[in-house]
Amino acid sequence: MSDGINHHREGLTTSHHDWTMLQVGKLVENQPIVIIDANSSVEDASEVLLKQGVSSAPIYDSGRKMFVGMFDYSDLMTYILLVLKKMEVPLDDQTMEMRDLIQKTNRSQNVPVKLVSDLSGNDPFCTVLAETKLGGVVNDFGSGIHRVAVMDSQGNMTGVLTQSLTLDYLMRHLSEFPQLQPVMQKGLQQLGLTNIKVLSVTGETQVLEALITMSTHGVSSLAVVNDQGALLGNISMADVQHIMKDLRTSWLWLSCFQFVSKVRLTRGVETGEDQYPVLDVNAKSTFGYTLSKLQATKVHRLWVINDTNHVVGVVSLTDVFKVLGGYIDS
Amino acid sequence: MVLDLDACIESLFQRQLLAESVIKEICEKTKELLMTESNVVHIKAPVTVVGDIHGQFYDLLEIFKIGGYCPDTNYLFLGDYVDRGLYSVETISILTCLKLRYPERVQLVRGNHESRAVTSTYGFYTECMKKYGTSDVWHYFTDLFDYLTLSVVIDNMIFCVHGGLSPSIHTIDQIKVIDRFKEIPHEGPMADLVWSDPDPGREEFAVSPRGAGYTFGSMVVEKFLHENRMDHILRAHQLCMEGFQVLFDDQLSTVWSAPNYCYRCGNLASILEIGVEGERHFNVFEAAPENERPTPAEAQRALFSNGVPAGLFSNGGSNGAGVGGGGPNGSNGAMTFAGGANGSNGGIDATQDAIHYFL
Repeated sequence: MSDGINHHREGLTTSHHDWTMLQVGKLVENQPIVIIDANSSVEDASEVLLKQGVSSAPIYDSGRKMFVGMFDYSDLMTYILLVLKKMEVPLDDQTMEMRDLIQKTNRSQNVPVKLVSDLSGNDPFCTVLAETKLGGVVNDFGSGIHRVAVMDSQGNMTGVLTQSLTLDYLMRHLSEFPQLQPVMQKGLQQLGLTNIKVLSVTGETQVLEALITMSTHGVSSLAVVNDQGALLGNISMADVQHIMKDLRTSWLWLSCFQFVSKVRLTRGVETGEDQYPVLDVNAKSTFGYTLSKLQATKVHRLWVINDTNHVVGVVSLTDVFKVLGGYIDS
Repeated sequence: MVLDLDACIESLFQRQLLAESVIKEICEKTKELLMTESNVVHIKAPVTVVGDIHGQFYDLLEIFKIGGYCPDTNYLFLGDYVDRGLYSVETISILTCLKLRYPERVQLVRGNHESRAVTSTYGFYTECMKKYGTSDVWHYFTDLFDYLTLSVVIDNMIFCVHGGLSPSIHTIDQIKVIDRFKEIPHEGPMADLVWSDPDPGREEFAVSPRGAGYTFGSMVVEKFLHENRMDHILRAHQLCMEGFQVLFDDQLSTVWSAPNYCYRCGNLASILEIGVEGERHFNVFEAAPENERPTPAEAQRALFSNGVPAGLFSNGGSNGAGVGGGGPNGSNGAMTFAGGANGSNGGIDATQDAIHYFL
């Protein structure tokens, strides 16, 4: 629900800001802080992400009195693949934590989440001071960092600034940033976001295979297509949360088609509203419309489709910030 | 093939599935009928309006019990007949037969679930495969869905649609020129009419969190009603715990007719009875009593081995094997079913994940 203020009508904050000058501390003001205890089990940590509705949380080691990293669905997926011995990590590349983790899982011991922290190797734990300007962080977001932990000058965490949160803030306050108008009007084709080869799997592919593909290629989601190549749905790392919930590991062996179905059915009951089967945007859409849709649906990427429903590209949050970052210098 | 619609309807009231060839015929005939309907069908009160049913067949029977049976009561159904519930096939079969039998007394509007893309993964496709062994029945019905009208106007005053309004549509005439005879597109006015939702916190349109359609606010509603000289918008599409919801100073209502949605939400449902003078009354009801439903196992047994319920092509006299008395005009209201109704344990376990039944 909106805060009740009609942003088109209010005459109060019509001062024109340069959005790149926003202090990141402001964007995470009043954010409820979600922290995972370093010694909690991976299962409990997943539960925290699920319950709080976030896709990542910092891990705090109360013994060493410090943050040791982040835990997100990417790490969870890597953990699952390691446990199921579907992933081989050469001995030289194994960190001490990883060796410890593998030993523990081999002995079926409870794995503390601190060993899974940043396991995927994507998205290492990054911190920024609250006074840092958004313009500085945008480049990080555009190169694949999904979130940064915001610290005050005493080293306390004041919040986590994610790509999603940033997009949401910018869209809510769009009228205050007229300098963003030109890029909003641009078409996706103009911005080079169509005509990209995207990774896809057919509906018949097993979920486990899909996760392995994502892990191998370092992508966070795959388009699920039918045998004519038309878009049926989407499978992403965040869907791993449904497997951890109540430890429904049997879902790993479903076909992607069945899995997507189950996830959709569950989600619709919880909200009382069904979502459109595929979250996509037409190649002829504008950047602004695409951002509105990303913000409204709260997903991390939209598949770009042509008029025959074939996937011709993808717009992820990383792509969004890459584009916005490109406009800062001009 | 000579179709005995009354026999079909009676079989369906007893939850016997129709043969595939019968469904094919009924769909063909209904398409011919629907083809002549405009995208905006004008009707007069009195009429009873029904929201989402989602395959909850026993609750549809409940609706007929409390609202009256066809053709004694005029009905307007606002879509979402299939998916999620366990009896989408029975539900859409009986509604199609009733439309064909009483075309002037039954109106069927298209919902966002009357679509190939949605029914592929929300349950209807899987149910058709399970109950008929092939996808033919799913094809017949989804082809039929392409013909369903998009909206109804009651007494030139109440605009009825499944979802809501569209930024591309300001007047009723603009709806009339849409080519509706196709799968619901991802975007555009036809998609908006079946996917949009009102948002009482806003005044204008915004992109919908559903990924299709828009959310629309108070100014949009006022403008639409004023421009089209109507006084109310009636729609479904969103779960209401109380069975219905009234918004924007009584300019818009949502009616929701699937109680205890998915057999677990614990919500009430309603039907909206519109009287001759335009009086509106929400008749609220709960889920049908548990002991009148067969368990999923019994539901499977009710399907005859050759898929053809006995007695279908008779002169409407004899009933099929194992079916008790109590016809559709149920003065006693109680019906017995092919599987036999049990006592207190005969109901569907509400905590069971109904979805697993299909997959």
